[in-house]
Amino acid sequence: MMAAVSDETADAASVAVLPTRWRPFPIGLAARYAVLLGTILLTIFPLVRLVITSLRIPADIFAVPVHVIPASITWRQYVNVFTQYNLAGYLWNTIVVSLVTVVLVTVLAGPCAYAMARFRLPFHRVIVSLLLIMRMIPVVALAIPLFAVFANLGLLDTLTSLVLAHTAAKLPVAIWLLIGFVQDVPKEIEESAAMDGAGTLRTLVQIVTPLIAPGLGASAVITFLFTWNDLLIALTLASSENAQTLPVGLTNFVSQYGVDWGAMSAAGVLMVIPTLIFVWFAQGLLVKGLVTGAVRG
Amino acid sequence: MGPERPSAPFIGLNNYKETLTSPRFQQSLRNQLVFTAATIAVEIAAGMGVAVLINGKLRGLRAARTLLLIPPMIAPAVVGLNFRWLFNSQYGFIDALLADLHLPAIPWLSDPNWALVSIIIADVWQNTPLMVLLFLAGLQSLPQEPLEAAAVDGASTWQIFWNITLPLMRPVIVVALMLRVIDTFRTFDVVWLMTQGGPGGATSLVTVHAYLLAFQGVDFGHAAAVSYIALVISLVLLGVLYGLPWLRET
Repeated sequence: MMAAVSDETADAASVAVLPTRWRPFPIGLAARYAVLLGTILLTIFPLVRLVITSLRIPADIFAVPVHVIPASITWRQYVNVFTQYNLAGYLWNTIVVSLVTVVLVTVLAGPCAYAMARFRLPFHRVIVSLLLIMRMIPVVALAIPLFAVFANLGLLDTLTSLVLAHTAAKLPVAIWLLIGFVQDVPKEIEESAAMDGAGTLRTLVQIVTPLIAPGLGASAVITFLFTWNDLLIALTLASSENAQTLPVGLTNFVSQYGVDWGAMSAAGVLMVIPTLIFVWFAQGLLVKGLVTGAVRG
Repeated sequence: MGPERPSAPFIGLNNYKETLTSPRFQQSLRNQLVFTAATIAVEIAAGMGVAVLINGKLRGLRAARTLLLIPPMIAPAVVGLNFRWLFNSQYGFIDALLADLHLPAIPWLSDPNWALVSIIIADVWQNTPLMVLLFLAGLQSLPQEPLEAAAVDGASTWQIFWNITLPLMRPVIVVALMLRVIDTFRTFDVVWLMTQGGPGGATSLVTVHAYLLAFQGVDFGHAAAVSYIALVISLVLLGVLYGLPWLRET
């Protein structure tokens, strides 16, 4: 199923080999372009709307009837979120938590996956099932015991607690993803390394790690984005601006006086930027992480 | 601090018994089953339809693939806030559009039934693109011979789709189904930003119910029971799906 991961080279190759490629639905080409265009419009419309709202002057946001195209645009909301709201704090917390989590998960998941793929561990099947269950368990089932544990340790409302919780939550998925990549490494390479006198650790670091680099990249990208996007863990463990992240910050734009839509939209747009960067520059890794992890399940 | 005092007595399965008979839990379970069934049906049907129609050599397909990756990867919290704004009763775009078409306004987030529909729409917007990408990848790795042979034999487009493409796509459909069952039972963020489970619990999915129990009701025992019951139900659903004959013969 790894072949199912759509990459452009495989596409181009199959088109070249099969010039008379069977056409799925020979309904008019125009109709198919209409479906493609409609899909694109439906996909981007809500996002465009979010950007437009974030650029409006407040009077325009609450104009009735609703205008689609704003009469004038302003950057004021983007300044407001930093001056009137603590967006800088939320942003900093989110960046720290996401980056530290990615480093921890990547460093831990590689050796775990290697051990799972290459050694006959006791309770192998049990461990694999537990990894899968951890992928399926509702996050709230983790958040409740973690809240109690961190309360006892005095770690509630700290970035440390968020990093530990996210690492625990994302690690099983990363290990699961990487086991497949390790299994794809030809055993002969490792055997010849062993013949040359390389120990397990050296084989892992110098031989296997470079070969599973695409897997490590995919798991890092997925871990980063899912940590960056998470609301529930941060909502549970962070009660003040000490540790609140961007998604929790979004809920703080709802006050007893109503919702500050302009500022909230600006914060939402800023929050989406890393996703756009990854989609643009690391599309291959993203798809690999999403599809490979899914297909092996 | 914390409600989990060491002295809390062990009460066996009492929390589970009480949870299963609680009307609030039953309401959230009903919401959950409607949400899961509706989102999966729409996302898989629409995803397959779009994938089949845009598969092939179309200009702009590469760009479309990149765009389609955006909704599944952006924060569900942002999706929730965005749809809350689109569905706003006074200033929202959707009702303004309905008014332009001389249709009556719909009380999206204030009416219990429409609120459930609203969170379903938000989820469909976010996750259908992922289904399209999965199915496109699946379609492109299909063997071409049976399709070409059927076309030569004069089978209609619909017959080919129904009798050849769909059965060949079975493994990919199973993966998509399982993924969505797992993830709908974990859905929280979108709902939290849109409705917080309201009005009157009409959109409280099981995780939302568990969260409210734990962190507003400070009832950790029942909240934990709810989340494990949710896990068991999704496991049972996966087992049933996996056992269905059509899905099993891969």
